Amino acid sequence: MDALSGLLTGFAVILTVQNLYLCFLGSLIGTLVGVLPGVGPLAALALLLPVTFTMSPVGGMVMLASIFYGAMYGGSTTSVLLNIPGEAASVVTCIDGHQMARQGRAGAALGIAAIGSFIAGTLGVVVMTFFAPAIAAAAIRFGPPENFGLMVLGLVCTLFMISGSAVKGVLMVALGFLTAAVGIDVVNGRERFTFGSVDLSGGVELLAVVIGLFGVAEVLVNVETLTPSTLLAERITGLWPTLADWRASWRAMLRGSGLGFILGLVPGGGPVTASFMSYALEKRVSPHPERFGKGAIEGVAGPESANNAAVAGSLIPVLSLGIPSNPVTALLLGALIIHGIQPGPLFMTQRPDLFWGIVASMYVGNVFLLVLNLPLVGLWAQLLRIPYRVLFPIVLLLSVVGTYSANKNVFDLWVMLGFGVAGYGLRKLEYDLAPFVIAFVLAPLLEQSLRQSLVMSPDGAMILLQRPVTAFLLAASAVLVVLMFRKSKPGGGSK
Amino acid sequence: MKQGALAWTLCAALIATPVAAQSGDPKADLAKLKPKDFPTQPIEFTVVYPAGGGMDVTARLLAKYVEKWSGDRVIVNNRTGGAGMVGHSYLATQAKPDGYTVGVLANLVWGDAMLRAQGRWSLSDLEPIGYLNSDALTWVGPTEGPYKGMSVKDIVQAAKDKPGTIRIATVPGSMWEYIVEQIEASSGAKFLRVPFQGGGAGITALVGGNVDVAQGFYSEFRGHLEAGKVAPLAVAAATRMDFLKDMPTFNETFGASEYLWQVIRFAIVPKGTPADRKAYLAAAIHAAMKDAELIAEYRKAGVYFDPKLTDSTRLADDLGAYAEAERQFYVKTGRLK
Repeated sequence: MDALSGLLTGFAVILTVQNLYLCFLGSLIGTLVGVLPGVGPLAALALLLPVTFTMSPVGGMVMLASIFYGAMYGGSTTSVLLNIPGEAASVVTCIDGHQMARQGRAGAALGIAAIGSFIAGTLGVVVMTFFAPAIAAAAIRFGPPENFGLMVLGLVCTLFMISGSAVKGVLMVALGFLTAAVGIDVVNGRERFTFGSVDLSGGVELLAVVIGLFGVAEVLVNVETLTPSTLLAERITGLWPTLADWRASWRAMLRGSGLGFILGLVPGGGPVTASFMSYALEKRVSPHPERFGKGAIEGVAGPESANNAAVAGSLIPVLSLGIPSNPVTALLLGALIIHGIQPGPLFMTQRPDLFWGIVASMYVGNVFLLVLNLPLVGLWAQLLRIPYRVLFPIVLLLSVVGTYSANKNVFDLWVMLGFGVAGYGLRKLEYDLAPFVIAFVLAPLLEQSLRQSLVMSPDGAMILLQRPVTAFLLAASAVLVVLMFRKSKPGGGSK
Repeated sequence: MKQGALAWTLCAALIATPVAAQSGDPKADLAKLKPKDFPTQPIEFTVVYPAGGGMDVTARLLAKYVEKWSGDRVIVNNRTGGAGMVGHSYLATQAKPDGYTVGVLANLVWGDAMLRAQGRWSLSDLEPIGYLNSDALTWVGPTEGPYKGMSVKDIVQAAKDKPGTIRIATVPGSMWEYIVEQIEASSGAKFLRVPFQGGGAGITALVGGNVDVAQGFYSEFRGHLEAGKVAPLAVAAATRMDFLKDMPTFNETFGASEYLWQVIRFAIVPKGTPADRKAYLAAAIHAAMKDAELIAEYRKAGVYFDPKLTDSTRLADDLGAYAEAERQFYVKTGRLK
């Protein structure tokens, strides 16, 4: 079945009142899950999984998938308005999105995030429609050495994210690596830095770290300066992106889409990594990197596109090979199995109705989400008028609920609180928190892929040069590092 | 561990009563056993692994049929972390033994109890109330390249002739590693062990040509098998699998009996759960497992039913025997004193 007739089959499946309704419902739930700080798509999907048992397999999968990409739309809302990420994948949106809000341009930031999400989501599903089998075949060849090359490139990219003191930035990267080392070692199965604690044996939970560092710490910082005012006293101007915003953003959206899509395919990659790398990329290619951190709209457009494209990318290996690349797609795989469907390389040919139905629903879902989110921009912007003393207890409550719901482990709440206090202190001392998070996310993938590569190699580290893809990625990383130093030396303006 | 064995036996005695009183109609039997004041709120099935995995699928399907037969509400809750250790410790030390907490576990809890619990809890804190299903560890090989078409014997021989060249995907500190250890010890072969975080990731690496042998469960590689991307080599079960009759067991290939590595899934209640509630829960699970529809759904998901464990009157003893074999392996390999 070629792509076009497949897609028509898919639309025939999806254009029923029932399935459209489920797609809309999923989009709506996804948006809400995205907006609520702490409550993430994984927890929402696990909670709603039993509800899908009574639905048809197509209906159930359509709803679950739309919650996943819907969350990416909603995630930017609180990042922009409150400097608190709604989703781990929207952490980086805080940096410039919230600055825009402080300048009274919350509407523009939210608008561009929604439009970027739509463009990336739609581009992602178009690529998926025509190239899913070919991409899947290429993705499965990606072994540990190739993953390592990609992670090194990612790490180098994150160096561009460091603003302010380079020493402090590198220190945060190192701390991120150290924190990520806690838990069971993937190579020899031994515990590291757990101090005999059962709770630490699984490592430190990303969600708890992010909510602590950004949610709790933000509340603490604001409590300190508790004026009777709300976050934004002055009026909100520019509810919609201007022509200049568009001109600044469209390239960032396209770059973010491409980057996000590729990172979605990689095991362990996904929306979080994609959003960070997109931010770093935008800062790198921008002729005015100094604008970043002060309300550059590309810093919103890129990452918000990247996380949506990553969702589309991560659905390809799971739907065309039965290989999940992150916990959310693993859950989707489980949902298929519970419906008695065998995911795998033959899924597309054995169940074209289901495969193409899901693909078609993503076109529809992205339209739903755009229509749903654009009018909401005005409404969300009103959140800024809620007084602190009302807003912050709600944020803290949601942070607690969201963190607990991920693993149902009380220990995670302590981690969240601890990182909240740490985040507060680090911000007072003017340390950048974003490099910490990205290092924390990349470190396990980096370590695992390197050690796997070295174990499987007969000639030690040579394997990294023998594999063409790895060699290329490492060379690209080296070039980037050189460029960075050359740029910083003559002008002395690396900050 | 003596204590543990004693607890298993006691459990067997407790379960034996309700099941023996079985008549024909499971719903009527359940109604007879139903305690007056139980349940008044939803029963929580605790799964210690993330949503979507084999354990979670087993628990959610079970929940559906327990609801069908008992009429009680069941919620599946994933308490994850520490590769299951966090959830196991919760069930053994924190969960209230009031009948509202049922653990849907795998035998991986034995390794946690013996090697990692460090005396904080033991197997006797968890009382089995029903066997669910099993997955046997299977080796799969490539369908292209130099090792294409080789039997498991050929592969082990190759690993002996050219030690350290055949790449096998393992999961450190688990049965994926133990079986490789056993085979290396008895054959003198030497594999190149490439560590992964789970069986599925290893099978992906096999299909991508990054390892030469992968290990996993039927449900994990079935899709690739049907697509002709992997070839079954041998299974670490007592008998051949119904769905792969041509694939030999390790034991028949090597004339041994020690190669038994499988995930055994069963339900437990925390120690101290009132006897009437425990009996009722056991009967509800028993009724669900008698339902041909649930069995069909489990088979569709790619699991099998270990004939040694299907007699629910002897469940605790039979599970105890498997646990003891595992303990002996740990002692033999110096992991446990």
